[in-house]
Amino acid sequence: MAKKWVGTDVRRKQDARLLTGKGTYVDDVKLPGMLYCTVLRSPYPHAKIRNVDVSEAVKLPGVVAAITGEDAKEYPLPAVIDLAPFGQRTVTGYAFPIAVDKVRYVGEPVAAVAATDRYVAEDALDLIKVEYEPLPPVVDVEKAMEKDSPLLYEEWGDNIHLRWTPTMGEVDKAFEDADRVIRERLYEHRYSGFPIEARCVLANYNSADGKMDVWTSTQAPFQARMFIARTLKLPEQNVRVIVPDVGGGFGNKLNWSADVVPCLLSTLTGRPVKWTENRRESLMASPHSRDYIYDVQVACKNDGTILGVKLQMIADTGVEGSNRGAAVATLLVAGGYALGPYKINNLSLDQIGVVTNKSFYCAYRGYGKDMGNRVLERMINIMSRELGIPPEEIRMKNYIQPDEYPYRQTTGVLYDSGNLPEITRRALKRVDYENLKKEKARLREEGKYIGIGMAAKVEPAGAAVPLSIFNGFEGASVKITPEGGITVATSLVDIGQGVETTLAQVVADEFGVTPDDVRVIEGDTDMTPIGAGPFSSRGAVWTVSCVVSACRKLKAKLLKVGANLLGVKAEEVDIEDGKVYVKQSPDKFMTFRDIGRAAYFWPGPYAAFPADLLPEDASLEVTTYWTSPSPPTSWVPPACLYTTHPTSFEVAVVEVDPETGKVKVNKYVCVHDCGTLINPMIVEAQVHGGTLQGIGGMLYEELRYDENGQLLTTTYMDYLIPTAMEIPEMEVEHFESPSPFTPLGTKGMGEGPAIASPAAVVNAVEDALGVTIRRTPLTPERVLELIKEAKEKGSI
Amino acid sequence: MIETTITRERTITLTVNGVSYKATVEPRMLLVDLIRDELELTGTHIGCVTGKCGACTILLNGVSVKSCLVFAVQADGADIVTIEGIAAGGKLHPIQEAFKENHALQCGYCTPGMVISAYQLLRRNPDPTDEEIKKGISGNLCRCTGYINIVKAIKDAAKRMKGGK
Repeated sequence: MAKKWVGTDVRRKQDARLLTGKGTYVDDVKLPGMLYCTVLRSPYPHAKIRNVDVSEAVKLPGVVAAITGEDAKEYPLPAVIDLAPFGQRTVTGYAFPIAVDKVRYVGEPVAAVAATDRYVAEDALDLIKVEYEPLPPVVDVEKAMEKDSPLLYEEWGDNIHLRWTPTMGEVDKAFEDADRVIRERLYEHRYSGFPIEARCVLANYNSADGKMDVWTSTQAPFQARMFIARTLKLPEQNVRVIVPDVGGGFGNKLNWSADVVPCLLSTLTGRPVKWTENRRESLMASPHSRDYIYDVQVACKNDGTILGVKLQMIADTGVEGSNRGAAVATLLVAGGYALGPYKINNLSLDQIGVVTNKSFYCAYRGYGKDMGNRVLERMINIMSRELGIPPEEIRMKNYIQPDEYPYRQTTGVLYDSGNLPEITRRALKRVDYENLKKEKARLREEGKYIGIGMAAKVEPAGAAVPLSIFNGFEGASVKITPEGGITVATSLVDIGQGVETTLAQVVADEFGVTPDDVRVIEGDTDMTPIGAGPFSSRGAVWTVSCVVSACRKLKAKLLKVGANLLGVKAEEVDIEDGKVYVKQSPDKFMTFRDIGRAAYFWPGPYAAFPADLLPEDASLEVTTYWTSPSPPTSWVPPACLYTTHPTSFEVAVVEVDPETGKVKVNKYVCVHDCGTLINPMIVEAQVHGGTLQGIGGMLYEELRYDENGQLLTTTYMDYLIPTAMEIPEMEVEHFESPSPFTPLGTKGMGEGPAIASPAAVVNAVEDALGVTIRRTPLTPERVLELIKEAKEKGSI
Repeated sequence: MIETTITRERTITLTVNGVSYKATVEPRMLLVDLIRDELELTGTHIGCVTGKCGACTILLNGVSVKSCLVFAVQADGADIVTIEGIAAGGKLHPIQEAFKENHALQCGYCTPGMVISAYQLLRRNPDPTDEEIKKGISGNLCRCTGYINIVKAIKDAAKRMKGGK
């Protein structure tokens, strides 16, 4: 069937609802008898809990229940990622929904209250008395690795959460053969997503039938269901997770330790309990991300050819990244993709996850893909100055060529398709690179400091991480209703990425109808097939592919039923415009409504269905599953992690104010290749948003802890999300290298723009000042230091 | 024993989207909580409660305010418009049309506040430059869009509104 909707800028189905205040986010849901939950949090980063006394709190009129670690200790949080074969230590038995015996970060829950009024629930927290015995906090990740460091988990004997040290190729020989080895130790700071809608949960336990309904703002309804059921020891089939409109995710809504608290209060009170996270809680106790050190050695020839890489990466995983959040495996992804779009045959890794007394580690638009990208994109900029070769030339020299795909990278991962040389040329042309360099020199004469920074990217999109909740499967259910409507149900939740519209576009093309004829069903574990949900840019990989597969199976069935009703052979009919018609005489047709009515009611199955579909297969629906056809060499990471690999080449143009140290991104160009486009308008806007997140991460945002383990950035006043005043002029160009591994050639792309933009921005500031940047964020204070260094060195 | 609550309540009257309401509230109740929890107009959202994100922006006596920074009692006698009151007769307002047409929203959580800020901006300045638009919405945080399409949409809305509406 001809593509009519896929590839076009279909305006979104959900917009009218969201624009008029008729959306429904979890906090908008109210149930009769509902109680409000608040959480008392630790003011200490590391302390023993001697006693928690809620006796005064429960006396406050309106308070119905108060719980502490005593109530939570029977409910240890299960691991959501268990990489014991890769050197991961377990924290199962240490992590609870409410702290038991010991707190390990500022903001860790120590008690929770349910009251008839949210204001009263807040008041009640002031009446809870907690006796702490403070312990020395573990704050600095390098000190945490020292022998005499205090320990978060005494039984471990050290603070190492994961250590993975594979070697691929002949690394020693590569370093012997090199003309030189360029080494740097680079530090990137702690930052995360913090969607404007913080976490929110409404739990409703029915003590009569033992069923629990949970409305929650999550990216993964089925993992939420499993986590809540396992933690609270409820039969999984009795838990229903409902996800209405979600106010942003970015990976931050793939964790449910907080969900368990209102669920527990609901089982205890027998009433619905809602918890709405406030912004302070969100910054201090929801997922943190990034925050790692790279020690990189690049062996290269004097002409820029890269022979090998030795990489040590240290991630500050905070209190842990395996039970509350699933991000300790970012180190595996980062290692697996550290070589980016380059042909490099030799790599050794030493990936270390270290626990500290900070909030837990979870995904944020990147999941190690960003870390992996930063290794060479930053090093190439540094090499460029050392070797005296422009950075784009070093990249061109080392790129995998377009005719070499599918390309098995040295780490074992399989890149599906791409054309880096071409998108690089296009981006440089679009930014008018030659003239830009002249302009930069001219402005320098006027005392203006312009910098041009670039970054290339391979984004592994569509995760299948073994031994984790991020595994590789997806289900879809497509149905023709008795009145001829089409519904498609999957685990994919619309978190802003527009799948309510894009899935309808895909289905519309398969059946020759319009997106308005298709109802997309999402966000309810009772209503959709089991699936993994939206994360890892997986919608256009897994869900779209599964939906296409389900549609094609249903189409084959429709042809048979339509032909049977028309009294011809199945080969003689086809589908178009919502009709099954006879190819030879198109005026003989049955609409989907005719078929629906015939199959279900008038006259019914025995008249409508051909013999080969009777009796067991007499339905107008198909539920099917899809798993990746990208052949893994092994089931262990990193070899089988991701199915598709969108790419981009990005250029940032910045201006550094030499007086104030302020950095402004003036222009940002991204030439982007995510295979077949479903909705270019949506893809372009994903690039806008993700790029600004990358810029914000490098210039403004930081989760800063002081040396005592206190978080200093606990409001949006201190944690600076970019405003409209910070946006650059942005240009996005699409390029399409369809994936051979998905039926429509689609690839994921949502995370991509936040992956390479940080490197492009930092590279641009380096270019403006001519000095190596070893720490971020690039606050005015830090940039002034760099300017001073540059002046002393004579590079400006 | 700590005295915990100021229990005195006040009765206030206010008009929201043209409808008169009478409510009995604690003096400490935030206006946004009155609007969302008591009046059940949930289109106005909460993102920070420190006046930074702008998700709770409404029009109070014709001026845009962040309703998390106003006590309900301060709105006694006020005329309020929330996102639910922007569109008339079941049709989208030109600003809302422009937001849809220019794909100026993703998750939609900041959108009601953003539309109200755009509404205020365009009433004061029917023909704003890009820079004026950016300044006009700089009190509203959006984490999804990168603002590029929001600026475009507001520019488009200005055009649509001059087209006789």
